[in-house]
Amino acid sequence: MMAVRNPTIALVGNPNTGKTTLFNALAGMNQRVGNYPGVTVETKKGKLHIADRTLDLIDLPGTYSLAPRSPDEMVAVDVILGNNPSEPRPDVVVTIVDASNLERNLYLMTQVLELGVPVIIALNMVDVARSQGLKIDVDRLSQQLGVPIVPIQANRGVGLDALKSAIARVLESPACGRCPAFPDAFEHEVATLQACTGPTEPVYLIRRLVLDVGGYAEKRLGAKYGADLIDKMHAARQRLVQAGFTLAGIEARIRYAWIRKMTAGCIERPVERVVSWTDRLDKVLTHRILGTLIFLAVMFLVFETIFVVADPFMGWIKLGVGWIEETVASAMAAGPLRSLLVEGVIRGVGAVVVFIPQIVFLFAIIAVLEDCGYMARAAFLMDRLMARAGLNGKSFIPLLSSMACAVPGIMSARVIENPRDRLATILVAPLMSCSARLPVYSLLVAAFLPIEEYGWFVPGLVFFSLYLIGIILAPALAFVLKSTLLRGETPVFVMEMPLYKMPSAYTVLRRSFDAGRMFLKRAGTMILASMILVWAALYFPSGDFASRIETATQRLEGQRDELDEESIAAQEKKINELRSEWKAQSLLGQVGKWIEPAVEPLGWDWRIGMAALASFPAREVMVGTLGIIFGEGEGDAGEEEYRRTLGGALREARRPDGRAVFSVPVALSVLVFFALCCQCVSTLVVIKRETNTWRWPIFTFVYMTALAYVGAFLTYQIGCLF
Amino acid sequence: MLPELMPLEYLHAGQWADVAEVSGEPGWVSRLAEMGVRIGSRVRVVQGGSPCLLQIGDSRLSLRGDWAMQILVRPVAC
Repeated sequence: MMAVRNPTIALVGNPNTGKTTLFNALAGMNQRVGNYPGVTVETKKGKLHIADRTLDLIDLPGTYSLAPRSPDEMVAVDVILGNNPSEPRPDVVVTIVDASNLERNLYLMTQVLELGVPVIIALNMVDVARSQGLKIDVDRLSQQLGVPIVPIQANRGVGLDALKSAIARVLESPACGRCPAFPDAFEHEVATLQACTGPTEPVYLIRRLVLDVGGYAEKRLGAKYGADLIDKMHAARQRLVQAGFTLAGIEARIRYAWIRKMTAGCIERPVERVVSWTDRLDKVLTHRILGTLIFLAVMFLVFETIFVVADPFMGWIKLGVGWIEETVASAMAAGPLRSLLVEGVIRGVGAVVVFIPQIVFLFAIIAVLEDCGYMARAAFLMDRLMARAGLNGKSFIPLLSSMACAVPGIMSARVIENPRDRLATILVAPLMSCSARLPVYSLLVAAFLPIEEYGWFVPGLVFFSLYLIGIILAPALAFVLKSTLLRGETPVFVMEMPLYKMPSAYTVLRRSFDAGRMFLKRAGTMILASMILVWAALYFPSGDFASRIETATQRLEGQRDELDEESIAAQEKKINELRSEWKAQSLLGQVGKWIEPAVEPLGWDWRIGMAALASFPAREVMVGTLGIIFGEGEGDAGEEEYRRTLGGALREARRPDGRAVFSVPVALSVLVFFALCCQCVSTLVVIKRETNTWRWPIFTFVYMTALAYVGAFLTYQIGCLF
Repeated sequence: MLPELMPLEYLHAGQWADVAEVSGEPGWVSRLAEMGVRIGSRVRVVQGGSPCLLQIGDSRLSLRGDWAMQILVRPVAC
């Protein structure tokens, strides 16, 4: 028996109208976000229960219009038209309309109506509108539009039941509302063009073909039906212009005139505009000097906070992993399997999991900034700077999001309409310090520049500087790209400033939860796989090292009470030398030594070079690899707790000639390398997906690695002068 | 007599005006219209300079100077 398809409900609306909040309120925990956490660019799906029925809910990207000029808008149009092969055509489209900005929001709704689907208006932010002195006669408006309207407050969950019953009613007896009519001359041209494509193409797309100069309809139908159709389209446009229509203005004029007629007598405006909180806050927060200072302070506080606040959580995870390691090690006999489990799997995963708190905190902060409306102000403030880099303020959001993870950052670059700006933003986004670099940063900073030795402000300052490298280099490189490979005229920059509001706890928690889960998933699959490969490369060929070390250790334990401290230390040193010998002749050691001349100018020994190479799948692997290479057997009973942590092991690590492997210049050189390199398979895969060619991910990897090498070289050489 | 037309960019902060003409690439004229910047809409400059911050109806937009030059407005006394 064939399964009966659930009815499908699609959510559309302008950006910043509370669409995501409504989606969350309707779908609850029962939702599947796209592959990556981050800004709403992917289509989100969920289930909605009304009485005993289950409906599929799709959250379409927030758009101002369904005149497809960006990939987001094309996705929305395709889903509503039923052109998207993976989605059924929605049975009802719920259009979320911001009551405090009614006319502009209704513009999008008129386009949805034109697509010929039943529409329900969810009139959101009725409370905000009321506080602005705006009175809307909902019943009358609903009658005039011929569309059910349900007033809601998505953030408080008000009106959701009414919305659900409205959906149920429309599903029972679907009806499409009225929509504005285009002039006869225009419709005549549309009919002529449709004769060329045949009736399978929706009329809506043909209208878009005529209206949107350089839009998606032109590209898609042009590719499908050839130059003949494009010639006819040009001729049609020509005739319309001669008849006195301006293509750019015709649609807006018709729609707004219609909206004006439909809303007549339904809206009562205050005589004087009420000065709102948003007005007052904007006076300060978007102020050139004051606002910029506040912006910098916010950014600095963000990074101090994740370093300090996340610390106790990380401590607990470290303790837990250490306990598991010990328990497993004591329950198993020595041998390759125990080594794989303890030194490969547990320690490898543990070294990654420990950084979950920082990632969760960072994503939570970004979610708060975005949800409260501050992010757009930051973009406004940054536009001047971005304009100098040949980018626009909208590039700021992808770049800032890349500080959490380049993957959602690169995906959120879809909000940039200009393809060159978008590509430039995608290519430089991985330069921004992402959360996967945090493990490397905090490991080395805590180990080599600790508060106890250098003062309370040094770790924060080093962190800040590492982030600053990306913040300065990304726009600089974008400028270079925009004036060479991606030359073209500067695009127009229009961006809406949403009203300030309290961030929704659900949205914030959801985003940080998704980020944490995503990170764990990566730790669990790809990262773990590369960890085990690295462990194997370090373990084999194993010769008789394992048994020699075991014997030496047992002998030492047996005699420990009889020996003086000096001989214990001598024996321990011997054991450590055995380990180091083992590693030196292992597979990894052989490759590492082979590349040592290349990394020597950076101040690295072969082990650091090898760990850097091994972290190609993902930067956080570096930590795990260092753990495997350096974290073994520095087992001084008296200082065990201290040496538990990898940082301690790194400080203890010695070269064969007795010099320390790490010094402050070496640590800084590694830090700078990791700030600049592109050791992240996920980023490269996403760039491939977003640009649709391998050319750009390869380009990104090559230029970033070159930049990282030069940066690390300069850091080490200059660092050694002090 | 009606006040002279002038580019939006030259409005002072706090000044009100009616949009009289929007020129430029058709795609962007449409985009602006979708966002509410079209002939006849009343705007106020919240913050001058480039980019400037505009109040249009009940929404706030930020717009760059070079583009604000292409929007001609007629200042209104308020």
